[in-house]
Amino acid sequence: MQRISKGKAFTALAVVGAVALSACGGGAKPGKATADKPVDSLKFYNDKGGWKDAFTQVGAASKKAIGVGMEPVGYSDSNTYTAFIRSSFRTKEKADLFTWHTGKELQDLVDQKLVAETTDQWTKAVADGNVPEQLKQYFSYDNKQYCVPLNAGYWVMYYNKAVFKKAGIIAAPKTWAELTQAADKVKAIGVKPFYQTNILFSFVWFETLLAGKDPDLYDALATGKAKYTDQGVVDVMNEWKKLIDAGDFSDPGSKTEPQAQLKNGDVAMINFGTWFSGNLNTLKMKAGTDYDFFVIPNLNPSLPKTSMIFETGPVCSAAASDHASTVKKWTDWWLTPQAQTDWANSRGDLSFNPKAEVKDPGLAQLNKDVNGYRLINRWFEATPVPVANKALEVFGAFVTKPGDPMPGLQKIQAEADAYWAKQK
Amino acid sequence: MKDRTGARAAPLFGLPAVAVVALLLYLPFLWTTYISFTSYDGLASPVWSGLANYKAMFSDPDLIGALVNTLLWVVGMITLPVALGLLVAVLTYGHKWGTWLRLPFLLPYAISGVAVGVIWGFVLQPDGALGQALGFFGLPGAHTGWLQAGPGNTIMMIIATTWQSAGVNALLFVVGLQSIPTEPLEAARLDGADGFKLFRHHLWPQLRAITTVVIGLSLVGSLKTFDVVWVMTQGGPGTSSETLALSMYKETFVLNDYGQGAAIALFLSLVTFAASILYLRYQLGDAREQG
Repeated sequence: MQRISKGKAFTALAVVGAVALSACGGGAKPGKATADKPVDSLKFYNDKGGWKDAFTQVGAASKKAIGVGMEPVGYSDSNTYTAFIRSSFRTKEKADLFTWHTGKELQDLVDQKLVAETTDQWTKAVADGNVPEQLKQYFSYDNKQYCVPLNAGYWVMYYNKAVFKKAGIIAAPKTWAELTQAADKVKAIGVKPFYQTNILFSFVWFETLLAGKDPDLYDALATGKAKYTDQGVVDVMNEWKKLIDAGDFSDPGSKTEPQAQLKNGDVAMINFGTWFSGNLNTLKMKAGTDYDFFVIPNLNPSLPKTSMIFETGPVCSAAASDHASTVKKWTDWWLTPQAQTDWANSRGDLSFNPKAEVKDPGLAQLNKDVNGYRLINRWFEATPVPVANKALEVFGAFVTKPGDPMPGLQKIQAEADAYWAKQK
Repeated sequence: MKDRTGARAAPLFGLPAVAVVALLLYLPFLWTTYISFTSYDGLASPVWSGLANYKAMFSDPDLIGALVNTLLWVVGMITLPVALGLLVAVLTYGHKWGTWLRLPFLLPYAISGVAVGVIWGFVLQPDGALGQALGFFGLPGAHTGWLQAGPGNTIMMIIATTWQSAGVNALLFVVGLQSIPTEPLEAARLDGADGFKLFRHHLWPQLRAITTVVIGLSLVGSLKTFDVVWVMTQGGPGTSSETLALSMYKETFVLNDYGQGAAIALFLSLVTFAASILYLRYQLGDAREQG
């Protein structure tokens, strides 16, 4: 048997050590510019695994229109997705295109110079009328823009038309009083008026009630200029409790999907973003026939404008993408009316581009009317992550077992105090 | 003359395995330990913060609550599934239909923790299977929110996990029973020992080794409870059913506070390690004394 020399043994050790060290190296530094290499197709990482078909259709449309395809890589779990994208910045594989969140989440990436600036694209798109000017604020940091919009969603009240008919409700409610009357009529036929959940979307009724009662307080709360323990917030929580105690909400712990609850007639109304049309359409519910929606009236009827919750999400690209010119070519196309018409209709949803031809007449009308409302940034994006997380815990417990809201609000405020103190 | 070539070369053959283990296990552990002493959001470089994460951990009432829930899981899992497993094993051992009688208890073990969470989530929601069954028979509790308040929700989830894990414990105890020599048992029977008396004085002492294993596995498993809770309640409502493993996940992947998450991970690892060592030393020490 051949004896292994010390030299060979040392070499083997060195190789193993080098492999181990290179694996720990972490690759390129975040934000480091690399050479541009044009490609025929881009990978589009997203946390919307359920939208795969719509993304695939859009990818085929872009291939046809500009010769650049798009291949969706969808994640179904938002936390896993966020961790993946964050960690990808510490590797050589930077995401060419990826969905993200506005607010603090986007600011984190901008602060670290990890996302590509898109100021020129925004300037042109606004000038061409492809993106409304009022959207710009959600993508701006120090007067520069980052990413382009993925979507625009307006929060409205969806309702099951058959249930409304059975309850004898002829017209969609236009005031808060009419809404509560409709809820009473629905209860009379044994159906829960409103959907509610104790996980993630537990904030929905909080934001709706606060935005409809005191939108200035809502905005002040989002920027740390008001406190969760202020009387206005306590009043809203008590209003919410009153509705829960009156039996106006569905079981918040139910595991049945909200679209199925609306379809089955277990609940009459669901307060969701316009993307919910896509969820209902996948259950073969027909807009205008099986379901419809109305703008949620203000809790406070004396407000000059009706508040409407608004959300938008970005499509971003890593600053150090290897395929910068292809990404720009694709996102330029994405902003056009033709691309947005394809996108909106692939999901039966709205588009941020007012020129997109939306087939759903209800959504198309809403797209035209939005300027008449006071748009309120969705609470989830408007609220800093640690505060939102604490508040979700509190809201989750509150909808399950409503009581004195003050201890919960104090918990949220303690988290908010800690967060805003760090920002000064 | 002795050929020492093989002996000298042997460590080299082990190098790839050592490298893989170091790369996938020890280096991440060292990295996690380092991160736990830093402020790190996963994007910017970690900033040294000393013991700040550990101080925050022990002053946060929610994390204290998670620690209490974790202890509840430990107590629950080293009693219920172990006791049920032992009962099933003893009652079915030696029975003509023993294998078939154990089968219903063993089958749930083939289901993943996530699936158990989904199934029991449907059973325990207020209008779920349990509520409907109680309502059908006119029994009270039909509209109880089984998962909607602590510590009841944690107890219900321990019961759900017991349903899954009792079978494998039964199987291990049966293996233990099979290893007991039959002669002393027959002698004991001839001396009039039967039923509980036979179990208490003859079977139970000889099951000691397997009981140590079963309880040790339950102890470690319960300290890292995550999947069932995540699926059934996500730690809620509020933080009422959160465990330390869940807190670790939330701090790291929901709040992007990787430093705090790493501190909880390290604390949990140390507790698990210490509990395992102490338990095994105690058990083995006792066994030596008896031996």
